[in-house]
Amino acid sequence: MSPEIIRLIVQATGDTLLMVAVAAGLGTVFGLPLGVFLATSKRGELFAAPAVNAALGALVNATRSTPFIILVVAIIPFTRLIAGTSIGTNAAMVPLTIAATPFIARLIEGAIREVDQGLVEAARSMGATPLQIVRKVLVPEALPAITLGLTLAIVSLLGFSAMVGAVGGGGLGDLGIRYGYQRFMPDVMGVVVAVLIVLVQTVQSIGDRLARRLNKRLRHA
Amino acid sequence: MNAPVRRDAFSVGAAPLPIADAAIRFESVGKVFPGRSGQGEVAALQGIDLAVPKGAILGVIGRSGAGKSTLIRLVNGLERASSGRVLLDGEDVTNLTEAGWRARRRSTGMIFQHFNLLSSRTVFDNVALPLEIGGIPKAEIKARVEKLLDLVGLADKSGRYPAELSGGQKQRVGIARALATEPKVLLCDEATSALDPETTQSILALLKRVNRELGITILLITHEIPVIKEICDRVAVIEGGRIVEQGETFPIFTRPQHPTTARFVETVTGVELPAHLTERLHQQAQPGDSAVVRITFTGENATAPVISRLSTTIGVDVNILAGRIDAIAGQPFGSLLVSVPAQEPALSAILGALNSLNLKAEVIGHVS
Repeated sequence: MSPEIIRLIVQATGDTLLMVAVAAGLGTVFGLPLGVFLATSKRGELFAAPAVNAALGALVNATRSTPFIILVVAIIPFTRLIAGTSIGTNAAMVPLTIAATPFIARLIEGAIREVDQGLVEAARSMGATPLQIVRKVLVPEALPAITLGLTLAIVSLLGFSAMVGAVGGGGLGDLGIRYGYQRFMPDVMGVVVAVLIVLVQTVQSIGDRLARRLNKRLRHA
Repeated sequence: MNAPVRRDAFSVGAAPLPIADAAIRFESVGKVFPGRSGQGEVAALQGIDLAVPKGAILGVIGRSGAGKSTLIRLVNGLERASSGRVLLDGEDVTNLTEAGWRARRRSTGMIFQHFNLLSSRTVFDNVALPLEIGGIPKAEIKARVEKLLDLVGLADKSGRYPAELSGGQKQRVGIARALATEPKVLLCDEATSALDPETTQSILALLKRVNRELGITILLITHEIPVIKEICDRVAVIEGGRIVEQGETFPIFTRPQHPTTARFVETVTGVELPAHLTERLHQQAQPGDSAVVRITFTGENATAPVISRLSTTIGVDVNILAGRIDAIAGQPFGSLLVSVPAQEPALSAILGALNSLNLKAEVIGHVS
């Protein structure tokens, strides 16, 4: 493999990591409050707003049921508005973030719903405000599950990021399609796949380890 | 069972307390929950009149579904009354807003059956939680938490997580946490129901200490009559959302009026006839039979040397079949089953002698 190709692979790996990091970061920034709200706004819950809950839930479902590749194409005008272009690594971050947000929101909603309602009642009995209950009880108690959820989200984003390569995004997917597929360079394709496998394995084992460290429930005296 | 029951019909020694003396007072409180779609409303509580005197330990006992969980949650606004009034320290809190309740809750501690400790926080941080919520400065939190962990005997577990503790230790953390804001009232929601009998005893002893030493009024709900027997000054029996009997613990235990109360207390005050005698027990006396007499001792008479006195003064043989002497709310109480000659006039003399000692004596049958 020529040094030029190796340089390209390194560059593409960096692009992929950047895209995934930005999408996962922004997805968490938007997805965390959305997920917390979805988990606490049904009838009788802390921030009870059943109508808003239903509307946001429907929006989340709509976004999640749109195949990613179609989402990428469908929001091109919006992508141009935000990134100034619809091609390349920066542009790819827009659909990735939009796909990541509802996914992460649902994962966080699930994690929060797993928290024992008795803890919420205990916090209420201490005079905690709903916001204090979220900050001091729900999120800390759900943190191990949230960590595992975010790990899953990052792994999925690695797959999505390869898909944006098909429509002119940057990164490993783009490299695999243009060099590995269109230029018949199976060795490049092999390396791309290998790097993705290594990335997924690494993310998963870091996530597992972190979640285990955060989980204080399984320790015994 | 469905006949209307007058609220005061079964009240024993439950003279209404002046409002000034009550830390918690319910006045004809009712609570209805909206039914599931297609069904009517469900009445969880009806016509509750109950006062918890300042500094007392009052226990509400009932089976699951009797309404006791709803009742205790009316005291810190986790549930709201549908009718009637709830007064805390003489102040009507029935119509407090949620914000008003939040401030109120900081002077009411609560402990739970399943402890409800945060698994992600250490023992220290769990006890600190209500103080953080109340916006207490860090340095003061540290001082207070250390003092509380000392009080409950867990100073050495400060840095441990709840998963590393036993059930009894978890409830001690729960108690320390409930006391952190220096409340005047402690609510105990089945606090010992998840614990083994020995641990239950130690938690009850701690609650009693908290009550006596810190002067904290305790309202507890339970389905376990031993809890009432051990630490409650007063008791209310709840069934089907109504209080069927209430008053001081000792008279309620020794002279229960309502059948539900009787069923609860007989598990701790009753004495069973040994099985081999139950089979032979018959109501009609036959010649040569012995009468089986149940003698109930209460208060100061519980320690009187009754049997030896019967033998010496009347000159009859008294055969003890079964018995127990126990303490209820700190007062001795006992039950004894004896067999004595069934023929007159000896039997009447024996019963007369027992009655003159203010002991309750009843012939429950005869054995040959």
